[in-house]
Amino acid sequence: MMEDLGDLDSSPYCEPRRRLLDIFCLMSEVDMAVIQPEMMKSYIWIQTTDGAIQQVEQEVAMFCPMICQEVIHKGMGSSKNCAVSLPQRVSPAMFSLILDYCRFHQVPGRSNKERKSFDEKFVRMDTKRLCELTSAADSLQLKPLVDLTSRSLARIIEGKTPEEIREIFHLPDDLTEEEKLEPLKNTTDDPRIRLLNRLYAKKRKELKEREKLKDVEAEEEHVDDRSVDDLLSFINGGDGGMLKPYWKQEIFFSDSKAIKTSKNKKKHRKRKDLQKCAPSNEAIETHKKESNTVSSLCHNVGVDQKLKSSLSETLELQDVADEVFAPRVEFDDVDIDDEIDPALKEEIDREVEDFARILNSDWPERMQELLSLGQERRPTHLSVNGNGALKGHGSMPSFPLNIDHLSQLRIVFSLTPELDEIEEIFIHGRYSSAQNAIFVACNFFKLCDCGHRPESTECQPRRRAG
Amino acid sequence: MDKEVDRISNLPAHVLDQILSILPIRDAVRTSNLSRKWRYNWSHIPHLVFDYRVFSITSKDETVIKNKLVNIIDHVLLLHNGPVYKFKLSHSKILGCSDIDRWILHLSRGSTEEFILLIWRGQRYKLPSCLFSFGNLIHLKLFNCLLKPPLAFKGFRNLKNLDIQYVTLAQEVFENLISSCPLLERLTLINFDGFTHLKINAPNLQLFDVGGVFDDVSFENNSLLTLVSIGLYKNVKNDWNMSRGSSSKLLSFFVNLPHIRRLEIQSYFIKYLAIGKIPSNLPKPCMDLNYISIRMNFNDFEENSVAFCLLKSCPNLQEIEMLGRLEEQAVVGPLTSFWGDDHWKCLFGQLRLVKIADISGTRSELDFMKFLLSNSPVLEQMTVKPASNEGGLELVKELLRFRRASIQAEVIYMGP
Repeated sequence: MMEDLGDLDSSPYCEPRRRLLDIFCLMSEVDMAVIQPEMMKSYIWIQTTDGAIQQVEQEVAMFCPMICQEVIHKGMGSSKNCAVSLPQRVSPAMFSLILDYCRFHQVPGRSNKERKSFDEKFVRMDTKRLCELTSAADSLQLKPLVDLTSRSLARIIEGKTPEEIREIFHLPDDLTEEEKLEPLKNTTDDPRIRLLNRLYAKKRKELKEREKLKDVEAEEEHVDDRSVDDLLSFINGGDGGMLKPYWKQEIFFSDSKAIKTSKNKKKHRKRKDLQKCAPSNEAIETHKKESNTVSSLCHNVGVDQKLKSSLSETLELQDVADEVFAPRVEFDDVDIDDEIDPALKEEIDREVEDFARILNSDWPERMQELLSLGQERRPTHLSVNGNGALKGHGSMPSFPLNIDHLSQLRIVFSLTPELDEIEEIFIHGRYSSAQNAIFVACNFFKLCDCGHRPESTECQPRRRAG
Repeated sequence: MDKEVDRISNLPAHVLDQILSILPIRDAVRTSNLSRKWRYNWSHIPHLVFDYRVFSITSKDETVIKNKLVNIIDHVLLLHNGPVYKFKLSHSKILGCSDIDRWILHLSRGSTEEFILLIWRGQRYKLPSCLFSFGNLIHLKLFNCLLKPPLAFKGFRNLKNLDIQYVTLAQEVFENLISSCPLLERLTLINFDGFTHLKINAPNLQLFDVGGVFDDVSFENNSLLTLVSIGLYKNVKNDWNMSRGSSSKLLSFFVNLPHIRRLEIQSYFIKYLAIGKIPSNLPKPCMDLNYISIRMNFNDFEENSVAFCLLKSCPNLQEIEMLGRLEEQAVVGPLTSFWGDDHWKCLFGQLRLVKIADISGTRSELDFMKFLLSNSPVLEQMTVKPASNEGGLELVKELLRFRRASIQAEVIYMGP
């Protein structure tokens, strides 16, 4: 819906001003017209590009500045022998058109209305001739005609899609795919690009903020000196660990630099943090079906909301763990609704189970999925080395990772010093969800699924196809 | 068979620039997607105009629209490659903000000649000081801005056209601005505050268009001034401050306008001219004045005197427009009218066209029309447009009776 507010210049209250300025311009024009010298009726010899020589009435021909210059400064055109030769770009057909134009406009007595009406009819021609005429008028330096034809060409171009314009003017479609996609401009209407850019900008901002806060919080770090066994007791307790959701395992495996701060505020915030870490299994599913980055992102966001609440529920079961776990980083404040109704809880638990299943499923299959996802969009430069591990290279960013994904990654890799490097890869990589990103990371650093180093014996061994 | 040839891409660069400049900025930038040759054609366009045509508004959220607009302008400025001669920003959703500061700073590093900034809503936008370093500026148009140039500001030495409306600037700033722009030809000044004395010292000034509240207007050194339109938006009739000890405003106004050709006296300005002594004639007639438009109250004696003085002093008038002041027509006029005196004789030797509007058919107004008709031997047309239909028939009856000095005069009565 085009909200055409018009230009302030043309609003009614401005009218009197406008009139005065118009009159001012008119007055100057009238003054100029008086200065034109009188000329006797005579003819000028002109040679067109096809070699033919013709006579043109002087006042008509002299309307063209270029011819005027030739006659006055170089003395040409007085006889057949020294005819003014027209520039290359002025074909005989175009010249006769231009002469029609000059013949009409050089008559001083015409009203503006008449001239305008003539002009409108004059430029009604096909675009091919219009371009030729523009070129010819320009080489004769006939500015009013150039202005007129330029306006017509602009009118033709205005509002059309690139394909239509190419069609009309027979332009070659020779931009490569990459060039077409390059974000040269944000003035297209493509909502996807706008959304992506917006999210990307938001992501960058959040990263910056987190960086700042990381510095701040480093001072507040306290050492948590409970034994590793104590920490692990939560993992091995309860269910067998087989179907335990991925993030439940990881939370308690925080590093020794856990922060101990005041309970109330931090608790809520921790909950929020953890809620946000929920990867979305649904996103993976949908992504298998379509490669539309935006819809998957949107979907991610939508599903994340649901899973956020699910996490709060699961966390309530591990109250004590909250004190153990504390991420190093602040997250931005989002209003989280901590209350969910039982029905929703059921559904969420089911999702959690589904997701755990996917996590623990066949590794080679997941690898395939990753590779295929990468190829559907721009080349991700993912290569598989001999060990079956994926090696990621940095490439042009196109998919903004959600803040949640990265926060989860931090939790997972809180042990690893290569955290920044990982982040770098993920930002520049192209992953449909954090889950995929984590898979890649695990393999990149030869970590197990839980994020433990290969040397560690604490966790369950990587599952293989069985 | 006619091979399909691309004729447009090979047009000379300046012609392509011209075509792209005419297009709205959105279409111009989109041409970068046409073909290889067109990729960067748009980046040379000398005019950047950001107005309502930048994108179609699909969201109701003002912040979204504004952010999108800021984003687009940032992108375009960054990708643009070449001098920007004209920059225009006039979008209803843009309020004065630091983004504009940033864009002005960017432009100040170039050679912008025409700068137009219309802030539709919100507070006066304080222009950053880098605006005053636009050395090549020829045309400056501002709407809803606050001007506070730095102390080192020496004026725009190339400025020819200054159009500032709804602006705030201090008295010294205004005077300094006008006098330090030696090439100034056109000055438009509407609804200003921060200063009340219009001291105009501009030797090249040709057009002067003012509407606002001011105490005083004086011209110095203005022999080229030919078009003047002044509106005083405040009724100063009973303003004793202004008239105390004042010499004739009418005389002092015209003393420095020897070559004036077109004059519009709007709103309450005629009351200003009525302050002080009102002469019966100007000392020097305005030989070049061929158009005059006056808004006045035909029942007010002083205003009538001023009008009469002016009409007598302009022998070459070709066109007259008289407008009644609607809000003062409720006042019952005197029974004997100013213009009814048959001794008022004045030859309008060149007068061809008369327009009368916003009148209600009072005695004074009718007498004035009668006065004009009987003193204009070459009159071709007089149109009369009353403010309302009331008393229309009476008005027409009277008009019918008036003697006309010109045998070809047409008197046209137009409905309100």
